[in-house]
Amino acid sequence: MEQHCEQSPPRAREEEEGANSGGVEGGEEDEKILHFLDSLDSYLTLMDSLSSTLRRGWLELAGARHSMGSSRISGALLSHRVQSAATTMQVTEPNDKSETESQAHFTISKWAHMREGKCSGEVEVGGFQNKSSGSELRHRVPSNFPEGCKESYSAVNGSPIATDSNIQQERSKSLSIFGTLVPPKLRAAQVSFETALDSIVELANMRSMVLSSFAQLQQEMKSSS
Amino acid sequence: MAGRAQIPTKNSALIAMIADEDTVVGFLLAGVGDVDLRRKRNYFIVDSKTTVKAIEDAFKDFTTREDIAIVLISQYIANMIRFRVDSYNKPVPAILEIPSKDHPYDPTQDSVLSRVRYLFSAESVASSRY
Repeated sequence: MEQHCEQSPPRAREEEEGANSGGVEGGEEDEKILHFLDSLDSYLTLMDSLSSTLRRGWLELAGARHSMGSSRISGALLSHRVQSAATTMQVTEPNDKSETESQAHFTISKWAHMREGKCSGEVEVGGFQNKSSGSELRHRVPSNFPEGCKESYSAVNGSPIATDSNIQQERSKSLSIFGTLVPPKLRAAQVSFETALDSIVELANMRSMVLSSFAQLQQEMKSSS
Repeated sequence: MAGRAQIPTKNSALIAMIADEDTVVGFLLAGVGDVDLRRKRNYFIVDSKTTVKAIEDAFKDFTTREDIAIVLISQYIANMIRFRVDSYNKPVPAILEIPSKDHPYDPTQDSVLSRVRYLFSAESVASSRY
């Protein structure tokens, strides 16, 4: 009788094993669902943050227009001369595009301008780090950018180059479209839109994550049905 | 996970904009404006006289250019070409719908969120049960 009690019947063992494996799979699915919902929530939060930053920028632009005059700040003043963007993006796409777990990663370089092959001014603001890829992109976020005076270095030609003055130069160049002397409101608007760009980079990365985790969930649902 | 390194595929890529004047001017102040040798710009200002066809052409142009990483489009403008925006499904350039001065952001109209919304619909829940 003791021997009979020690060994559980085979059928009960099979049911227990089935429940355990189902539990493990269910746990993985729950994790994917949570990951998807988290990324969705982050996307909405970032969009809310972007909305408030843009509102501030528009208000400051309206204030600048009020002090300078409507004709002094308009699309008609935008130059059609050849010019390259001072703020650019870096996009890293996964090696194997059939993999749904990896997604494109966006990084912004503000006020970077290539002159004669040398990078004269560069401040990188990394977006969201994709943990699954293990990418090793540099991530430098000045704590008080853009008001701070921290130096950043370019490694293009191996020698450090002070870039703060160049960054200020690039900023002034952008402002000069609207005249030599611009009101503080216009400078404040410039800062607000620069801040908005950070949110936009985060949003682009979060969008990639939402779509990637959604694709994983769809695959999961198809395989389970 | 190890060994699946990501390769930088675009350096110095641009941010394109299809938006109203104030939004475009603001982002140009932030240094994203670009005019190439063929005088092609990375921004398109929409006003009351802009036709839907012109917006569609600008959207198609920006989404097919190799040097553009992100396309910003005001949501109210995206609504004018909703079919085009919703049928776009490439990862790069990323399409981001942003609010405008007169039209706040509406998550129910966002193409990314509407794409994933069906996961929460009654039909998808019912079908997963059977």
